[in-house]
This record gives sequence, structure tokens and C-alpha cells, in this order.
Amino acid sequence: MQLMPDIRLPAEAKYKTELDALAAHDDKPRPPGWALSPRAVEMYILGSPKPVGGVAITPKYVGDKGLIQVCIATLASDRALMLVGEPGTAKSWLSEHLSAAISGTSALVVQGTAGTSEDHIKYSWNYALLLAQGPTPEALVPSPILRAMRSGKFARFEEVTRTSPEIQDSLISILSEKQVSVPELGEITSAQRGFNLIATANTRDRGVNEMSAALKRRFNFVTVPVVEDLEQEIQIVTKREAELRNDYQVGVPPPEELSRVLLTLFHELRKGVTKDGKTKVRTPGAVLSTAEAISVLFNSSILAQQFGSGTVTSHELAASLVGAVVKEQEDDVKALREYMETVAKGRTGPWKELYTASKKLLRG
Amino acid sequence: MDFALLTRVRHFPVRHHSPRTTAVLLKWLERVKPEVVLVEGPCDATALVDVLCDAQTRPPVAILGYRTDGAPSSSLWPFAAYSPEYQALKWARANGARAEFIDIPVGVSLAVDRHAPGLGLEAEATDGEAPAPEGPEAEPLVPVTEAFARSQGYRSFEEFWEASFEAPDWSPEQFQPLLIAWAEVLNAGPRQAYHGQRDAFMARKVLEVVAGGVAPEKVAVVAGAAHIAAFLAKHVDPAEEAKLPAGVPCAVTVIPYSFPRLSEQLGYGAGNRAPHFYQKAFEANCDFRRATLEVLLDFAAHLRMRGFSASLSDVLEAYRLAVTLSDLREKSAPGLDELREATVATLCRGDATHVDNFLWKSVVGHEVGQVASRIGQNSLQAEFWREVGERRLPRTDSPETFSLKLNNPVEVGSSVFLHRLRVAGIPYATLSGTGSSRKPGAEAGGYAALTRVRESWQAQWTPSTDVALVEKIVLGDSLEAVTKHVLLEQLSKAPSTAGAAEVLLEAVITGCSEVVAIALRACDLHASSDWDLPSLASAARALSGLMAYGTSRAHAEGGDEAVASLGEKTFGRALLRVRDASACAPDAVPQVLDALRTLHEVALSQPRADKAGWFVEARGLMESHAVHPATSGLATGLLYLARELPEADVALEVGRRLSAAVEPADAAAYLEGFLQVNALVLVKSRDVVKALDDFLTSVEPERFRQTLPVLRRALGALGATERRYLMENVMGVRQLKDKGRAVKAVLEEKDKATLKDLSADLGKALDDLDDLL
Repeated sequence: MQLMPDIRLPAEAKYKTELDALAAHDDKPRPPGWALSPRAVEMYILGSPKPVGGVAITPKYVGDKGLIQVCIATLASDRALMLVGEPGTAKSWLSEHLSAAISGTSALVVQGTAGTSEDHIKYSWNYALLLAQGPTPEALVPSPILRAMRSGKFARFEEVTRTSPEIQDSLISILSEKQVSVPELGEITSAQRGFNLIATANTRDRGVNEMSAALKRRFNFVTVPVVEDLEQEIQIVTKREAELRNDYQVGVPPPEELSRVLLTLFHELRKGVTKDGKTKVRTPGAVLSTAEAISVLFNSSILAQQFGSGTVTSHELAASLVGAVVKEQEDDVKALREYMETVAKGRTGPWKELYTASKKLLRG
Repeated sequence: MDFALLTRVRHFPVRHHSPRTTAVLLKWLERVKPEVVLVEGPCDATALVDVLCDAQTRPPVAILGYRTDGAPSSSLWPFAAYSPEYQALKWARANGARAEFIDIPVGVSLAVDRHAPGLGLEAEATDGEAPAPEGPEAEPLVPVTEAFARSQGYRSFEEFWEASFEAPDWSPEQFQPLLIAWAEVLNAGPRQAYHGQRDAFMARKVLEVVAGGVAPEKVAVVAGAAHIAAFLAKHVDPAEEAKLPAGVPCAVTVIPYSFPRLSEQLGYGAGNRAPHFYQKAFEANCDFRRATLEVLLDFAAHLRMRGFSASLSDVLEAYRLAVTLSDLREKSAPGLDELREATVATLCRGDATHVDNFLWKSVVGHEVGQVASRIGQNSLQAEFWREVGERRLPRTDSPETFSLKLNNPVEVGSSVFLHRLRVAGIPYATLSGTGSSRKPGAEAGGYAALTRVRESWQAQWTPSTDVALVEKIVLGDSLEAVTKHVLLEQLSKAPSTAGAAEVLLEAVITGCSEVVAIALRACDLHASSDWDLPSLASAARALSGLMAYGTSRAHAEGGDEAVASLGEKTFGRALLRVRDASACAPDAVPQVLDALRTLHEVALSQPRADKAGWFVEARGLMESHAVHPATSGLATGLLYLARELPEADVALEVGRRLSAAVEPADAAAYLEGFLQVNALVLVKSRDVVKALDDFLTSVEPERFRQTLPVLRRALGALGATERRYLMENVMGVRQLKDKGRAVKAVLEEKDKATLKDLSADLGKALDDLDDLL
């Protein structure tokens, strides 16, 4: 039987050659516990114009250099890093790559949900062993955060604000004293040098306001912005969509023209006004993030390959687009239809086709 | 030209408003101990050095040169406490050296370029260059300095400058060649001929001083790096000087300047982005870490004052982050960029809005300088007092009233002057009424001002007038410039067509022709995307006013035709919105009714408005049941009033709207709208009253109670005369003729005594009516 490769490799595995090359050519001082120097981490995230040790360093994040530098400078201090922003602005993506570059692993993750309990943040027990032997170090099941503390690595906490404030607050002692006490064993685990935490929080559905002031004080906040620049977003979406196609081994490459149409549409709907500033459009309630654009494009490329003519056309784009924009409310159908009627209809080329294709889908 | 002598003179290259340059310069001066200090600055302002160095003078101040021949042109040479030129002058004064300015005289620089920027060295100035080619592929033009900074990995030129020049602790030996090298980079690009001419002029001035018998080693020249570089490279052509134009008549003075104004002047030669921050750095001997910490403490205090949490540990963390960031960027100390990023990440928890809204203002600072009392007034003060004198306006500290007849250009000019003061927010005169009727609280500007033929003002000079004149200098050098600045600011904040039209009116009233043109464009822009009927209607009214009364006050280019066509367009657009806007929620009804009345007024008074179109829309409203009934009522009334609807039709229409089949609440709303229009005319019509009467008597008691509030509101608005006509007509309708006549007699005599004599029958009829009303 042939072994199937993993659908998605963690960053540290996927970019192992890049990380190794950077580490080999890194002559700058590294903060204790760090696999790379801050400069090298920055280069890993933002990419390098010149290959390092013969390995091309691809950009993982396209955007403001200053923002990445603030992240790295924060992580080198004793404050934890909080990435906030709209959904789909690459917060988790950034946190994964920062952990992979600095700690060599991005696997120590806690996913915050309403069901997250203190056990997930500190430790729990293997109850069979606990009953058989009583509280022993073997029976203790450490949380990813505790494991990160023990090994001096970075832990990640996704969607902190989804967790109830009481549970969130158990982070306070971890972040300020850098230790977890286990009274059952009568011991205290102190964090090794190199430990820190990257958390992410969403500004859309449940605000960061949910965090207590005491916890907020343990973080430096970095807002990951929605990409404002059209060309930059096209670049990101095209690159990431190609990666997805490669990972999943499906789909055909969509023409550049269509990516441009899609992202122009996203930009205009997000801003509520057309590029030339002349026409107002209604902003739908659904999240129109870069990630959403990537998914729409990828989706239409699969549609084209499996059910279409083999090339991505406005027809596939319209089909995926309607599904993406019109998720929650009926009003969004109206907003999209209005956009098609007032904006797309008057434009030429692929816009015309998109208008015709979407007209059928948006009827009723 | 004797270059050998010129290069023997001691030179110190500077960048204007650079604290590091100042710190290094002072060390250098102590070492060189010159007998003469020559500073870049207009040579005819040398007399003002005393004022600048006076103990009472507190920077920021500026040398102001302005034309005295009436042409509106002036130029400023600002100094902050940390400006090297200013400190060079101070040093000279304190150490008994002679201090002189050596640049071309004010009159010449005003003749060269109306917008002559402050202290020279605008090697990268893009003024006068061809505008960027249009088209999607066109790259925005980037100045040389900006492009250079980006090629070095910095995000802006200012960041590059801070990191490379301000932050490191340079010695004079290191710093001078560095600045010269930098200036050579600048000079390598295209250099305006003007700068070459100034080089020649300044070189001659320097040599004259040496020729006067001072040893060249004892002469210190403090000037922009580009000029010094030209001297040292012997790139000075004496023939160039002759190409300078002849000077225009002008005067120079010193005026208070301000940090916000200094920060507005961006660019290599002109200003810097955060004067307060640099002031702090200067006071801390160019220790930028200390300045950063001080500003962060300020920020935290400011945040706490506004009720946000900002602890000392946050400040420490922010400071640490700023320093770590500057290390990461290989800078020797944090600058403004690190300060900002650290503040956002720690003190503001990732949210930049506080920084943008109020914190950043404090690194810019709000300090206004102070000028020693030995100097006279600023240009606004001078203008104010000149105008007040020429126009014989009150100039004492007690209230005086006077009126202006706006039928001659002189008094219109006075009116423009007073309105400019009003708009500029300079406390002096208030409008107390128009002509003989003095209505307190009447609207001073706007549409009302346009229609006036007389204006009554009350004026009083107070110290705050002059304070305002001094303060407002930051907005512009003349009253017109200040007004223009204020109006443009209002315009940029105007959310709608109505707002833009309001500014347009003010611009006409204050005679700001440039703003008129800009406001017209803004109106046009807003109108094409505005969906709000009240806003469109009010804009249409304003424009129609301008069409009727003209824009003569403003002498606008493009003139009245542009206003007229925009007025037509806006009116047309408002008409398109009438139907949709009238189908509104009850709470929006009053505004919509107002808008409809405004449109009606415009349609009837303005020949170029689409009158027929309005009547079509009004008829549509009248006939539609989809719109709010009050708007239908109003439309019916307006059409009747405009004689577009015969009396019989009105009665028919009202009857239909008030028929039993219609929901009483809707009928009452209809009535409310209907009676809003000149009720007297309506209640005079027997047929209309009959329809009304039929409606009221046919409402079932239960329904009547429900509709009572609306009815009361509708009928309560009627005045005494209207009520009498209504009653008379009700009598007529009910054929209470004879008794009716008696009633009429009673009412006209207003004699209560005769009432008692009336028959019980009549009394009963009156009771019935009272119940109804």
C-alpha cells in the first residue's frame, strides 16, 4: 500500500530547508532559547531578495515590515504577543511561522473555544494511571503550554477571546510568574528560557474587550491589518492559491485576469465604494477577507477542473463567489446583486461574463 | 571670485530644524570661537537679530516677509529653539560676536517665487515640475531623498534621517563631512537655478565681510549643507547673481510661530514632523532615548486623564520595546517610528485610533511662540487694523452698533471683512439683525446672508481679538487665507451635498473665490452620490439662491453659469429622489416635508429649475398610496397653491383621501401634511371643508379616539383667522346659514355679552362644533 503524504505539513517541516539554511548562515546573536536571531526570523517571515546558502527564502507574510519587527521584538521581551485582527488576515498563519522559526515547532497549540477549561491550559491527568498509582509525574498529562514551558519553546493560543474570561485569566500567572504549580505532586514547573506565548484574537465576532485588564497587561498587541493594497493582495492570493493546489493536488491555475476581478470586487465591497470613488456600493455582512478570496479562487479552480471545461471562467468564479459572500444573511444576496447591477454590468471583459453568470445564480 | 579665500572661511553645514545639527554646531562654535557668525537668512532681516535673541522672545518664531505693494505675497523663515541658525545667532550674541544674515533679501525672494519656501535647500522640491502622467501604470513621482531612503531599507526619508543623522552622537569632525557628502548627493541631482543664484549671492556677502578686515578663520558661515557643499566644491558662478530679479517692495517682521504649523511644512528644507519630540530631544542634549521615555510618560498620563488604563509597567514595556525595535533596526536610538509602534502595541493594546486621535498631537505639540514686545504686529493684526481704520469700524473696547447698506461696493467690502472674521472665528463683530427688524439669534451666514440688503452689526474690540489674530496666523498670513483654510476644513468634513452647499454659500459671502470653485466641485461630487432628499433639497435651495443673487462678492471664476448648471443638476437629482424618499418611516417625515416645501419654493422661484418636472413628481406623490400620506397631503396642498390643481379636483382628492375606506390614521396624517401648506387658502374653499367635515363626522368613535392626537396636531396648527374661516364654511356646509350669520356677527364683534342672548339651539350647535374642534 502506498502511503499518502500528509495533507498539510506544519511550517517547520514544510520550510525545513529554508530554516536550516538560515540557521547555518546566522551570525547574529540569538536570544536565549531561540533557534534563530531576530534578524534571521524577520528574513524568514518576509523573505529575502537573495538566496541564503543557496536556498531561496520565500516571503511567508506580505505586508508591513514594521509590524513583523514589533512582533519579534515583543517575543524577545518578557511580554507575550497578541495578534488581533479581522478573520482571515493571516493571524494564525503568522503565529505558526513565528513559532516555527523561533522555537523550531509550531505544534504546541491550544485552540480556544467556549469549552476550553483550565485543564487545557495547565495540565490534566491520565485517570487510569491516577487511580492505579495516585498522583505521579507519569500520570500527569501536561498541556501544550506546560510542555512549551518545560522545553523553553513557544506555545500558541488560538482565539483566546472565545474562551471565557475566568479561564483566560489562568494565563495571568503563567505569563507573569512563568511557572505552573502542581499541588498534587507538590512541585512547581518553571518555564525554561525561550518560552513565550503567541495568542490570536478576532475583532469581528467577539471583541478583545472580553479580556480582563490584568491579562491584557501581559501582552503586547499587534493588529494585523486587512490588506489595503490591491496589487499586494493579488500577489498574496495567487501565491497561496497555487500552494493549496499543490498541497491538495487538484485544480487548474486560474487566469490572472480573474484573480484581479475577484479581488477588485472584494476591495470594493469591503470599502463600500468603487475604485474610482464614484459609485457607492452596499457592504455585505459576510467577512470578505484575504483568506476568503483564496478559498473562492481555489474553489473555482476545482470546479473548473472537475465539472467545467478545464479552464477557470467567470462562470466558476460566480458560483464560488455567491457561496462565499452570501453566507449568513439574505441581505447579502441583495448587496451582491446590487453590486452586479450597478458596477459589474457597466464594465468590460470578464466583468460582463461575471455579471451574466451571477445573474442566473442570484435570481430569486 | 576668490575661492581660496572662500574656502578659508570656517563653514558649518546644517539641516534646518535638526536638533543634532544644533548640538554639534554649538560644540563647534565653542571650539572655533568666530568673531563673525554669518547665517543663512534674508540679509535685510539682520536688524531683527536683536528681536530674535531678545530674552522675551520664545521660539517657535518666524521672520515674516511680506509685500507692501498690495500684492498678496509673503514668506516665512521659521525658527524653533532647536534650529541651528537660531542657536548660532544666540551664541553670537552671548559671546560678543557679530551676527548677520547673508541670503538674498526678502523682496528678491518674493519676486522669485510667490511660494518661496522658507530656508532654502529645497534641492528635492518638485514644485513646478510636470504633473505625474495619468494612467494606471504611472508611478507616483518620488523625490530623490525619499527614493534614497527607501533604497536603504527605510520606510520614509524622515526615518532615514533620524536613524542616520539625528540619533548617533556625532562629533563635529565626523558630522560635517557627513552632511557635506549628503548634500553632494542632493546637488548631484537637478538643482534649481535659483539655488545657484543664491550661492553666488551668499558667497559675495561672505567675501565682503572678509574684505571688511575680519580674518577668514574668524568668520563662521552657518548655512544649508547644499550651499556649503557648493562653496567647498567651488561650484559658484558669480555671474549667476545677476540673474536674480529685482526686489519688490516689502517689509520684514518677526511673528510668533507654532509647532503645529512647523510640522505641516514637510520636506527636507522646511520643517519636521514632530517638533515637540525634537524639542524634548534638544533639551535632553540629543538623547533620543530620554526623549522617547519622556514622551511615553506623557502619553500614559494623557491616557489616564482620559480614563484609559496605562500603568508605569506599560510605559516601561513600551520603552523597552522601542529600544529593542531600534536595536533590531540597527539604529542607535529609537525615533518617532519606534515610539509610535511601541505605543500602539503596549499602551494602546494594538489599536492605533487613540494615537491618531489625540496622542500624536502631543508629539507635534501645540506651543505658540512669543515675540518680544519691541516688535510690532503680525500680518493679520496689521491687516485687521488697516481694514478697521479704512472702513471706519469701531476700534474701542465697548460695544458699538452700526448698519451696512449692501448696495455699494464699499459697504459690501466691509460686510465681506466682517463675515471673514466671523468664519475665521476671530471675536470682533456679531450680526445683530437685518435692517430695521432686529431679530436676535438670526442666522448670521448662509442663505439668509445672501438675501440681505442691509446688515446690522455690533462690534467691540477686546484683547481676545488680537489674541485670535495672533493665533490664527498659523492658518494663514491674511484674513482671506485664514477664512479659506477654515472653509476648506469645513468642506473636507462636510458629509453631504447640503454641507458642501453651505460652505459654498459661506465662501461667496466671505468672498473667497478659490473656495467657491472648490466647493462647487465638492457639491458636484457629493450630488452625484447623495441619496438624501433633505440634503439635496437644501443644496438646491442654496444654489438657487446663488443663481438669483449671484456670486459677485466672490468674483468666482467660471462664475454663475457653473452655479446655474450645478443648481439645475442638483434639483433634477433631488426630483429623482422624491418618490423614494417620501416612502419613509414616520420619524423621518418632518425632514422630508421640509425638503418637499424647499423644492416647491425653488421650483417656483427659480426660472432654471425644472418646474414641470417638480409638478409631475408632486402629482405622483398626490396620487401614490405607497408614500407616506403626509407627503401626499403636502403635495396636494402645494399643487393647489400653485394653481396646478382646480378647486374641484382638490375637493375630490381630499374627499378620496379622507373617505371611510381609508385607515383613519393615514387620513389624519394626510390631513396634517395638507394643512401644513398655507391653511388659510385651504379652509377658504367650501368644497375642501365639506370633504373635511364629512370625514370627521364619519369616523367611528373608537377610531376617532385613536386618531385624535394626529388630528389635534393638524388642526391645532391653525391660527385664529383660519379657524374662523373654517367655522364659517362648516356653517355653510351644514346649512346653518341664518344661525351662522349670527355666529359670524358674534365672532366679529367678539362681544361675549351678546352670546347669552343667543338661542339654545345655536348654543347646541356651537357645542357640537367645539366637540369637533
